[in-house]
Amino acid sequence: MMVVFFLSPDATAAEIGDIEQRIQSSPYVVRMKPVSSEQAWERFQESFPELREILKSLGANPFPPSFEVTLHKKAFMSNEIIGFIEDIKNTKGVEDVQLNRDWVEKMQSLSRLARAIGFFLGGILILASFFIISNVIRLNVFARQGEIEILRFVGATNTFIRLPFLLEGITLGVLGSALSLGLLFLLVKLFPLYLGHSLGALQEIINFRTLSSSQALGIIAGGVLMGGMGSLSSLSRFLKI
Amino acid sequence: MIELYHISKQYQEGQWALLDINLHVMKGDFWFITGPSGSGKSTLLKIIFREILPTRGQIIVDGINILRLPDHQIYKLRRTMGIVFQDFRLLFHKRVFNNVAIGLHVIGVPIKEIRRRVFSALRLVNLHQKMWEYPSHLSYGEQQRVAIARAVVNEPRILLADEPTGNLDPELAAEIMSVFKEINKRGTSVIICSHDKELIRHFGDKILFLFKGKIIGKEVLPSSRR
Repeated sequence: MMVVFFLSPDATAAEIGDIEQRIQSSPYVVRMKPVSSEQAWERFQESFPELREILKSLGANPFPPSFEVTLHKKAFMSNEIIGFIEDIKNTKGVEDVQLNRDWVEKMQSLSRLARAIGFFLGGILILASFFIISNVIRLNVFARQGEIEILRFVGATNTFIRLPFLLEGITLGVLGSALSLGLLFLLVKLFPLYLGHSLGALQEIINFRTLSSSQALGIIAGGVLMGGMGSLSSLSRFLKI
Repeated sequence: MIELYHISKQYQEGQWALLDINLHVMKGDFWFITGPSGSGKSTLLKIIFREILPTRGQIIVDGINILRLPDHQIYKLRRTMGIVFQDFRLLFHKRVFNNVAIGLHVIGVPIKEIRRRVFSALRLVNLHQKMWEYPSHLSYGEQQRVAIARAVVNEPRILLADEPTGNLDPELAAEIMSVFKEINKRGTSVIICSHDKELIRHFGDKILFLFKGKIIGKEVLPSSRR
């Protein structure tokens, strides 16, 4: 994402230095490039050679100097970015800012919506996995009812009888979470390959990346928790010892 | 060893499955509990191994009132007992060896010791040569002997059997009873529920007669006959 801060022709060297320092100290800024009036003039002539004569007739260089600032992709998700841009805009020596604020705000709300949908679907999937594991364990308890009864008669402890079912639930949880991490990895690697060009501007905003190792461990731990809870829920209801 | 005091059991209001049963089983006893169907024989056995609780009365096993035993400690009582059911309750997807070994696995016996004790239990019932067969490949009588081997493999102090010869022909039934007698000789107290009069006449030492949940007679044969 790029923002261009146009400087006032009357801006003093001290003011320009202050603006430059403010921009560079921001955590949202990835890169900053100063563009002089002459550079802007040359760029225009290269881009629009057919308009060269018209520019000459103006007599003077109409292009103000500017700072082209590349912001971090994550800056789109942050509300503070608008505050930062406003802050620079109000600094003495800055004349104008080139940024489609409405567009940024729309993208931000789209991002919030996507996140909310993500959490909602995630919640549903967590609940679904809980019930699926719980049902698998319940069916296994029923299938092994005869064996459980014999174990009780020969003096098995509750833990001895329940532990295999609990471990089974945890294993299912771990396998499920590992599988989802694998699929996510493939998706992240393959999605931009196939759809990268069709995404257009969205590609700038959507940050395709695999989960960090701590996030992946968190997902696995979640699987263990869901599997364990799903088993325990079934065992408490269907395995009366 | 097992002391039953005024045991009564009511499943439904007004219908007593057992009423005021008193019985003392000593170490090395061989008891038959007999009576017609519905007389309460199985109910009495279930109360002794604490599958169900009596409505009234107390039971002392090895000095412990088992009715006061919390649910999570019932396993301690069951480890002192071997139980044989009329329908065997074998695991047909496991080999004979694994069926018998199950009681040793739960108490954490090392595998080498399990092999030795399973072989010994199967030799007692004369099935050691079929240790690696599946129960479905065995005859009815052989399956019952596997169930007996499973019940005695951990050398219980008490052996309970509910109609262990119910579906067997007289010859097989006598063979099974001989196995019980052999186990009894080793010091295990045996309680067998049966309505087979012929069998009781041949093998009975101490007999408890039940009718509609009540004791209608006890018979203790002279030791010379035992």
